[in-house]
Amino acid sequence: MPARLPALLPAAAALLCALLAPMNPMGPAAHGAEVRIQRTDDGRFTLLRDGQPYFIRGAGGSSHLALLREHGGNSIRTWGVEALEQKVDGKPLLDRCAELGITVSLGLWVAHERHGFNYADPAQVRRQRDDIRAAVRKYRSHPALLLWGLGNEMEGPTSDGRAPHIWQELNELAAIVKAEDPAHPVMTVIASAAATKVQGILAHYPNIDVLGVNAYASAPGVAAAVKAAGWKKPFVLAEFGPPGHWETPKTKWGAAIEPSSREKAASYFSTQQLLTEEAADIALGSYCFVWGQKQEFTSTWYGMFLKSGEKLPQVDAMSRAWTGKWPANRCPRVAQLQSELRDAVVVPGSLSTIRAEATDPDGDPLRWEWIVTAESTDVRVGGDKESEPPTFPDSIVQSEPGQAVIRAPKQPGNYRLFLLVRDGKGAASADNFPFRVEARP
Amino acid sequence: MKLRLLSFVLPLAAFLLSCTQSRAQQLDFGDHSSSTITTKAWESLNAKNYPNATGYAKKCVELYEKQALEMQKSLQAPLPGTDREAVSKLWALNDVGTCLFILGQALEKQDKSADALAAYKQLVTQLPFAQCWDPKGWFWKPADAAKTRLKALEFDSLK
Repeated sequence: MPARLPALLPAAAALLCALLAPMNPMGPAAHGAEVRIQRTDDGRFTLLRDGQPYFIRGAGGSSHLALLREHGGNSIRTWGVEALEQKVDGKPLLDRCAELGITVSLGLWVAHERHGFNYADPAQVRRQRDDIRAAVRKYRSHPALLLWGLGNEMEGPTSDGRAPHIWQELNELAAIVKAEDPAHPVMTVIASAAATKVQGILAHYPNIDVLGVNAYASAPGVAAAVKAAGWKKPFVLAEFGPPGHWETPKTKWGAAIEPSSREKAASYFSTQQLLTEEAADIALGSYCFVWGQKQEFTSTWYGMFLKSGEKLPQVDAMSRAWTGKWPANRCPRVAQLQSELRDAVVVPGSLSTIRAEATDPDGDPLRWEWIVTAESTDVRVGGDKESEPPTFPDSIVQSEPGQAVIRAPKQPGNYRLFLLVRDGKGAASADNFPFRVEARP
Repeated sequence: MKLRLLSFVLPLAAFLLSCTQSRAQQLDFGDHSSSTITTKAWESLNAKNYPNATGYAKKCVELYEKQALEMQKSLQAPLPGTDREAVSKLWALNDVGTCLFILGQALEKQDKSADALAAYKQLVTQLPFAQCWDPKGWFWKPADAAKTRLKALEFDSLK
């Protein structure tokens, strides 16, 4: 009897899988999917997950997962394994993803020189290799795993890409990942599609399977740019969103002007549409940034949600691009935000009137919130964590739907006026403009 | 009553017409070369003088569209941006393509989305290989930027 047990196990496992499959949204891949890349006869790359074509409709982040699924998304991207240890909706992140039918581009953090890592130090290099090997062993069998995200912008966000030592080390790390887990491709993500970076990878990093690129204003043309640089493997748009704060027009005192909520939504939509229409030969999909809230330059520039949890119009835009339909409940639409305070210099204590127009596509009554904050002085590079600037509630002299009166703070300096419009059903819109207070403008 | 209304409306119309004409007369096309007019169109756009940007861009299209179309027709694919000299020889294609993009931008800023769409569509369909030199050191394609704006405008008009 004991001798026959091993022979029975595969059959029992198959029976169990067959019984569970209809209940599990991950489908037949529930016990660790094999993911590979296929090049079809017409030259197009396709991701195959357990033999089935899989196009990534992804988002960067690990919150609001059920909403991602509802809006047509199917994958998330993480940056380091720390995120996997957090509980989401009461469950470990990967388990919750598997439960919802969401795959994960599982980030394996590769250290940055700007954070003090020394690629010439054998001890540091060995430790990093050991950590990555251990992470792959720990997570390689999880059913939610789609591919390995080996490194993110490790060449430095402003690097010209001439970093052969980093590409060579990535090649070693990718070899370790592949040795431990041949069933999932390895993607490495760089910041922008500079030809020097692509060519550096081509020269020094043959083990890479998928090139990921983070891009903002240039996102719609990134796939064409990597091809022009000689890239012939698959590609993922690994982060994209509105034009970055380093890419937009500035006030005369140098404050970056954040795109309006309408402009941001249109930007997400157009980037996703152009990727699927014009880069279908090499694109395996994309991850919009960021499916959550993040203080990065401002509290609303990159986040697709408010800190209080409401989705923003960028979410609806991605849903429209992913599914061709609007979600059941849509975000309010701010048509105008006008004031003499906009992008202006005023004296301390001066009063300004702000007028705005907003409507809700579903006819929901809107709640208006006006906020004055200091301009962030804790601005970092590469998405490093930033602290939130203080707010000035006393500056809101009068607040009503469509109009507010603002008293400029007493302290000279740079500020922003935010307008948040909520529908009370989990959807909102966020707009802002900068202003400056000077004793004698 | 009708006469009183006309006595008010007609002078107003004449005044508005004279404003339009004086606005057009203010445009200085310099040596009328495509590069001069394109530079002025860019400068007007950057200065948020959208009527002037529109005027300069339209003038460039009007004067050099024929040559631009001929240059486009002579190409099978866009020239590599690394060959700056060869790309620059396609002066009419590049300047008219750039001006169509500027025109679209200026019209968008004046809330003339339908006209902006027409300018972008003309650029994408007729002059897709036009290139524009960025002072940072590379060529970019106005038609690619126009495609993005077309999608954005399409999205913004969705109900």
